[in-house]
Amino acid sequence: MIVEDDKIISEELTHLLETSGYNVITLTNYDNTLEDILNSNFDLLLLDINLPKVNGEFLLKEIRKVSNVPIIMLTSRALETDEVLSMSYGADDYITKPYNPTILLLRIANIFRRMEKNVNSLNYDDIKVYQNKGILVRNDKELDLTKNEMLIFLCLLNNRGNIVTRDELMTELWNNEEYVNENALTVNVSRLRSKLEDFGIHGAIETRKGQGYKLL
Amino acid sequence: MKFSKYFISKFIEILIVIFGYIIALMMLFAFKASSQLVFGISITFLVICFAVTLTGYLKRRRFYNNLISNTEKLDKKYLVLEMLNKPSFYDGEVLYEVLYEINKSMNENVKKYEMSLTYFKEYIELWIHEIKLPIASLMLMNHNQKNKVDKRYEEQIKRIDDYVDQVLYYVRSENAEKDYLIKEVSLKKIINNVAMKNKDDLLENNIHFISQVKDEVVLTDSKWLEFIINQIISNSIKYKKDKDSFIKLSVNDLPKQVDLHIIDNGIGIPAKDIGRVFEKTFTGENGRNSSKSTGMGLYIVKKLCEKLGHKIKVLSVQNEYTEVIISFSKDDFYKVR
Repeated sequence: MIVEDDKIISEELTHLLETSGYNVITLTNYDNTLEDILNSNFDLLLLDINLPKVNGEFLLKEIRKVSNVPIIMLTSRALETDEVLSMSYGADDYITKPYNPTILLLRIANIFRRMEKNVNSLNYDDIKVYQNKGILVRNDKELDLTKNEMLIFLCLLNNRGNIVTRDELMTELWNNEEYVNENALTVNVSRLRSKLEDFGIHGAIETRKGQGYKLL
Repeated sequence: MKFSKYFISKFIEILIVIFGYIIALMMLFAFKASSQLVFGISITFLVICFAVTLTGYLKRRRFYNNLISNTEKLDKKYLVLEMLNKPSFYDGEVLYEVLYEINKSMNENVKKYEMSLTYFKEYIELWIHEIKLPIASLMLMNHNQKNKVDKRYEEQIKRIDDYVDQVLYYVRSENAEKDYLIKEVSLKKIINNVAMKNKDDLLENNIHFISQVKDEVVLTDSKWLEFIINQIISNSIKYKKDKDSFIKLSVNDLPKQVDLHIIDNGIGIPAKDIGRVFEKTFTGENGRNSSKSTGMGLYIVKKLCEKLGHKIKVLSVQNEYTEVIISFSKDDFYKVR
């Protein structure tokens, strides 16, 4: 759910999230903002701080009294005090406008991932993925992946069947403090590919020229 | 205040007294007064004149010496009136009253400008808040149009955003109010934010970004520090060399302080310019050559560092490297809270 009074931002956010596969509801009337939010059904709330008639931080505090739903605060005021206040009221994240859309999507994905309990045992067909250990396991056989390879593999796995752009992979790596360049990304992907080949997974990663990669 | 000078300043009064004395003498002689009487009157006259001058001098001396020495001692000289006793002689009272009035009107004047500056700052903050909305919209719209719009749009939007931020932090750095919040902050997280912000620029320019920062924690305002590091990284990108460029960040954890080193192998700063890089509107040789420099970035950085209590230093050899060192002091005072 998006609560943002700037119409264009609200629309574009909706578009952004919908193309990323989320269902979005927005608030258009700010007469009973708190009641409207509490009466809606959603998994995550994007909440602007500056709203007509009511302050986002106040809403956050009120919502937290009754619900633990993940909330990301959006604001254009770059003040430390705002952030500290929001976090202490129980916001899950705090993003300053103008946000990089890829980062915003990443943060949202991260929150959803955190909510899922079994983070550590993702599966790819009959292969178990242990993110923290950095290994793939199939039939008691282990495959060691480097941190970068694991990040790339997970990113592809979470978007299985869809094209993941190089920019998205790059954002994911940089967000995890792996400041690689274009060449290194290519090298990492091809190394991951040949490791998977050696492990008996053939042709799993497909390259789409000019677009990105796809995990089959 | 010297008696001799005071005496000379009373020149006209003395002339009048002498003139009166001569008339009195002439009158005494006209009435054929005895020489003893003339002598007696003369002595009395002289003593009285001297006594009047001296008491006048002493009264003034106390007041003016007080005024002079207090003015010399005071750092803020306009506050001198607060430390003076009202004088006991009339001309001094007049002076005191006038000074008081002048002071008051000057205070009002200063207050007026202070207020207008505060209003201006508030307006700028509000305006920046507003301008961020269309910038955010543009970023989102651009992203949603991907494949149709090329990356250059994104770069230009980012430039606008950076310049807007510069204004915001300029206003904040010039203002006396304390609108920052110091707490423990992870350097790694801030560097990651800056890296993400400049990701496209760094990749585009083929600059190797190396962070050797581990889990060091410093006492600062994270928003301000993010701006500071962003400015430094932007400079490194702007003044890079064409081949094999890198920007390296590392931390030196010392007993009393944490030093953050930001090193690049860019074009460096000429030795004659390096002492002046933090000066307002100083662009130097590099700035003139690139024409993209406003000379404000590092000035604001320095001001912000001063307010936060961080030390900042620049080392450079032209055509070899530039190194910026920010030192954060480890102050237990903040940890106790």
